[in-house]
Amino acid sequence: MNKKMDKFWNRKRKTCFVIGVAGAYLILVLAAGLWMSPERYGVDYNAKFTAPCLAHPFGTDQMGRDMFFRSVKGLSNSILIGILASSVSSFIALVFGVTAAIKGGKADGFVNWCVDVCMGIPHLVLLILISFMMGRGGKGVMTAVALTHWPELTRLVRAEVLQIRSAPYVKASYRMGKTRFQAAKEHMIPQVLPVYLIGVVLLFPHAIMHEAAITFLGFGFSAEVPAIGVILSESMKHIATGKWWMAVFPGLMLLLAVVLFDLIGENLKRLLHPNSGNE
Amino acid sequence: MKKKKTAVVFWMIFLLGFAVSACGQPKDQGKDSERQRDGEKEASSDSIVCYVGHGFWDGSLDPVKGGFSYGYDFINNGLVRVNPDSEYEGDLAESWEISQDALVYTYQLKEGIAFHDGSKLTAEDVVFTYETVMANQGQNEKVDLSKVEKVEALDTYTVQFTLKEPFSPFLDSTAQLGIVPKESYDRESFDQMPVGTGPWKVIQYDTEQQLIVEANETYFEGAPQIKRVTFVDMDNEAAFSNAKSGQLDVVMVQPAYGVETLEGMHMEKLETMDVRNISLPYREPETITDEEGKTYTVGNPVTSDIAVRKALSVGVNRQEVIDHAFNGVGRPAEGWTDNLIWGNTASYEDGQVEEAEKILEEAGWTDQDKDGIREKDGVKCAFEVYTPADEQDRYMLAAAVAENVKSLGIEIQVKQTTWDEITENAYSQGVVWGYGQYSPMVIDSLFQSEHFGKQAYQNTNGYQNQEVDALIEKAISANSQENAVKAWKEVQTAYEEDYPYLFLVNIEHCYFVSDRLDISVDTQIPHPHGHGMPIICNMKDWTIREK
Repeated sequence: MNKKMDKFWNRKRKTCFVIGVAGAYLILVLAAGLWMSPERYGVDYNAKFTAPCLAHPFGTDQMGRDMFFRSVKGLSNSILIGILASSVSSFIALVFGVTAAIKGGKADGFVNWCVDVCMGIPHLVLLILISFMMGRGGKGVMTAVALTHWPELTRLVRAEVLQIRSAPYVKASYRMGKTRFQAAKEHMIPQVLPVYLIGVVLLFPHAIMHEAAITFLGFGFSAEVPAIGVILSESMKHIATGKWWMAVFPGLMLLLAVVLFDLIGENLKRLLHPNSGNE
Repeated sequence: MKKKKTAVVFWMIFLLGFAVSACGQPKDQGKDSERQRDGEKEASSDSIVCYVGHGFWDGSLDPVKGGFSYGYDFINNGLVRVNPDSEYEGDLAESWEISQDALVYTYQLKEGIAFHDGSKLTAEDVVFTYETVMANQGQNEKVDLSKVEKVEALDTYTVQFTLKEPFSPFLDSTAQLGIVPKESYDRESFDQMPVGTGPWKVIQYDTEQQLIVEANETYFEGAPQIKRVTFVDMDNEAAFSNAKSGQLDVVMVQPAYGVETLEGMHMEKLETMDVRNISLPYREPETITDEEGKTYTVGNPVTSDIAVRKALSVGVNRQEVIDHAFNGVGRPAEGWTDNLIWGNTASYEDGQVEEAEKILEEAGWTDQDKDGIREKDGVKCAFEVYTPADEQDRYMLAAAVAENVKSLGIEIQVKQTTWDEITENAYSQGVVWGYGQYSPMVIDSLFQSEHFGKQAYQNTNGYQNQEVDALIEKAISANSQENAVKAWKEVQTAYEEDYPYLFLVNIEHCYFVSDRLDISVDTQIPHPHGHGMPIICNMKDWTIREK
């Protein structure tokens, strides 16, 4: 029996299982937040500062809002921003990376310059600048987070494409009269895809943390929006009087989400990466 | 490796959580009080450490440059001051006279008053102070002397002011401006170390950190009993924590902290004249162009309807709002407070939900689509109310109001943002304002129609009423204090019918005060707007109790 189990739980299955569970949790949180009625985290002045109990597993805040539902809604907002940031950033990264590697010359120089400029400014400062410029609020955070997460991925994609560019089969396809664009589409992108996908998933935790961070600092979502950053910065005002639950639980939820995304990314890497995919 | 790291992080967070939660439990309080007793032993018996709010000790202390913009100066004295009954009494002045035409003010100074540096106060010092401020009016936002024609010393102890036109609030201006010595005045050093006649002199001033003052042993009303006071500048939460560990003798707290208890300290709630109201834009939506050619959208389709404004004022349950937002700290207010001599406190019953609903129905606001919010001609009965991001209590207040007026079918969306953004939106949406001052000029600033759009914070509502304008004119040019007060009260009666502002609460300032300290509540003046700082106005009367 044990042996059978061992056989069944081979590495690949285990990896898939972890990815499945983590993914299911995050999708659940996202969906729960999206379809949650605002009344769930509505104001109830009779239940101010309730410590965690059965009715309010995460307690309530200074306006009697349920911290559990607020946290879920906030995290859901964060994940949404993560998805947006990842898709925009990864698209930019793919276009920039492939163009730089294939065209070379001035295009390569330009892309590298952009990457250096972006990475040269402290990330948080850049986020704050963009968010502030866009008038803060939801629009500011989304723009800031979406526009600043591409440089690392661009470098990665560019390096991979540079490697493949001189591979014999790519050269052969040129000889057969394929254009650069066709070669890129048919031979290079499929090769880069695993690295790229993992990069995208690993972007999520960064995006979520950055959203929470600039909101915490007051440059993101405003106070009336349930966002993890708002919740955490509000809780700081009450920590001196011993309202620990307002900080601990939302903080743990944020941490858990970030760790899970990281876990998915690492496991995907094992699964998809050519060198370890068939272990 | 990765897993290990993750596990470590998890454990750290858990441990942190427990450590924090343990703080709230009684078993640890023994330790706290031990620490506190140690702290008290260290503190000498005639010096105290206070926290009276954040952000006061960041500018110049020089009265000529408008130092001490909140409450009264305690390093320099003005000519007059207000007493706990809000009446004006002499400070440096023995007496004063106002001429029949209300243009000439003559002040007789007390004799034998000395500055901290030992020089005697004479009329020359007063003339010098006023002339310096008049010459540099741009640097002083606190005292407006633009109506003064000239100031002259008639003899050693008599000063005469001549005004360009009658200006009844001038008396209050002379209470606001502290007198500096002519001989030793220095533009540079007075920023940090002003020399005055007041009960306290500066020992050390570190901008944004601390201000240390020492008792003036030769103060003309007697030296203070406490010999040294240190004011610290930190944020509210840090100050509360410090008080908890016994390091502060006075700590200002937000009303939300009012339910807490601190060992060795007691709560003092002090009367203020500080009111919180929500502006309700008075005009229909329109576009205006300012002198620079910039266009603004002003006015609001919902609040421009008198029915909505009146329904809000009579329908909101102020006491309930105060209970929810401020833990019951503060008093319901429907206008200016009665501790202002010019305050007209004619009030009406609030929380009249049925009456408010009737007003709205009659004006055509009905809930047609059954979503709980009324509509009229396709416009939802909804507007935004802005609150500053750095003041949590105003946000709490607006949120409580929004919750309260939901039952009337009016929706208020509460926003929290920077003052820049608030200033931009104030012409078309509601804003939570805080006002509290002895000078009735606030009425001119808020209700005089000409101020609209000229300067930030002035009549942002776009209120316009010719009768009110005329009455304000009459009050300002009144030739005696009594006539002025009478006229100011008439102004309030005139604009009250329009409900341009939703007055909500007369706040109370909350402080935890060490049990060993007596802050002389009887001689406290009603606090002007000042985020907690005005408590120090009578610091010379504070005493430390013998154990």
